[in-house]
Amino acid sequence: MLLAACHSGHKTKQPKKIAVIVSTLNNPWFVFLAQTAAAEAKKRGYETKIFDSQNNTALESDNFENALASGYSAILFNPTDANGSVVSVTRAKAAGVPVFCMDREINSRTEATAQILSDSYSGCVEMGKYFVKTMHKKGNYVEILGIVADNNTWSRSKGFHSVVDDYPGLKMVAQQSADFDRNKGLEVLESILQAHPDIDAVFCGNDAMAMGAYQALAAAGKANQVKVFGFDGAEDVIGYIKDGKISATAMQFPKVIAKTAAKYADEYLKGKRDFPQKVPVAVELVTAKNVDDYVAYGKKN
Amino acid sequence: MTMRKGIRYFLWIAAILAITYSSVYFKKLSDVNAGTAKAFDAARYASNYFYKQLPAAITKAPDVNKLIVMIKTDTVAAFKTYGHALTIGTTRYFLVQGKGTIINIDDDGVEVSTPSGNPVLLATEFVYGNALRDASGLVDINKFSNTMDLNNISAEVDRIVRTKILPAVKPQLKKGSKIIFSGAVGLNQAHLQLEDMEITPASLKIIP
Repeated sequence: MLLAACHSGHKTKQPKKIAVIVSTLNNPWFVFLAQTAAAEAKKRGYETKIFDSQNNTALESDNFENALASGYSAILFNPTDANGSVVSVTRAKAAGVPVFCMDREINSRTEATAQILSDSYSGCVEMGKYFVKTMHKKGNYVEILGIVADNNTWSRSKGFHSVVDDYPGLKMVAQQSADFDRNKGLEVLESILQAHPDIDAVFCGNDAMAMGAYQALAAAGKANQVKVFGFDGAEDVIGYIKDGKISATAMQFPKVIAKTAAKYADEYLKGKRDFPQKVPVAVELVTAKNVDDYVAYGKKN
Repeated sequence: MTMRKGIRYFLWIAAILAITYSSVYFKKLSDVNAGTAKAFDAARYASNYFYKQLPAAITKAPDVNKLIVMIKTDTVAAFKTYGHALTIGTTRYFLVQGKGTIINIDDDGVEVSTPSGNPVLLATEFVYGNALRDASGLVDINKFSNTMDLNNISAEVDRIVRTKILPAVKPQLKKGSKIIFSGAVGLNQAHLQLEDMEITPASLKIIP
């Protein structure tokens, strides 16, 4: 009995656990997102562990399986695939474990407890306006898309085109995916430049691809003629904007996203149940004019 | 033997017909449409919002100069009292109204000198974004589970301004003309740039 009491007492002292399941740790932006979410959950008294899905839904499913079997009470989740990730979230929901999506959404309005997402569309509307002004409403451009199965890819593209397509002088000569990957961004633009050497600008769905695109342009001796536009607010791109190598990026705030997700999970585990399904986080345009106000992944304090 | 073959063919044809019959069916398109959830009509929502809800909200909006003075003297109170946004962040949108004299016109907008002397810029070219949707505080994010519906509201509201409001008044815009205006402006509390503020117009009227 004494032993049982000791055991029970020990059990109540165990902190609850929050899992952070992230699409990839092969991109510094997602490393920052995952580490911030884990740190915030830890600050709130939870034991945490980061699971890397390596952009693979099968591995992501295994991560969910492990998290559920290991007794995690909530999951802070950065999905790999808007459709393919739904089944894992459904499984967690069925097990009574709330899931809070971070940055990337899943195509379900009922399975996640809340989805905290960058307002990518609106960020790219602002990017589109700046693009048209910078290009003086004319020129040939290339669009490099992110992962085709990710909703962010299309939110960004649609926001950009909702402005740029109203200007017939701006012609998109090629549109191709590079999976949000720097090396693929480099290869894709190298290949496009073979067919379209006369481009004036490249709009990339994230900063990693923008860095790859810039590298391709530099190798082709075109870095000074072709303007590059990114999205994310990554450290190297902030530096490149200061140096005049990249024209603009759209700053996301992974710290805000991660901290909000951890806060919501904490509130849920303390009894709160009414959460908005989608919580957009503002994205801000960063150009040479205001770049000094920003640091990587956020604003200067 | 031939008889057996005939029966076999008959059975095959009967089976194919039975499968085909049970695989294909026809239904009235109107019945199908009635059974599916109605898609959100952003254009209709935007029209109701722009022509009915927004004008009522604008009557309570501060004069643009009063807002600027308040922001300069008590930024936190100004943002709390008048600022709205659907997103988490430091950018908030404000409804404003005002009047003044046109002092400059270029491809992007109209610069207006106001009675207190602070010139303001009214956008006439790049009318895109969430300023008019968010500034009133009337659009409730919790009523929309699909983010794209919210994006489409902004796009449709801005389209009304670009295709209806601006073409009607643009030919009358001349340097020296007196103008009454209302609209929305976005400001970032963390990095205030009052000198760059640009008003997305909701209404523009030249005073004869």
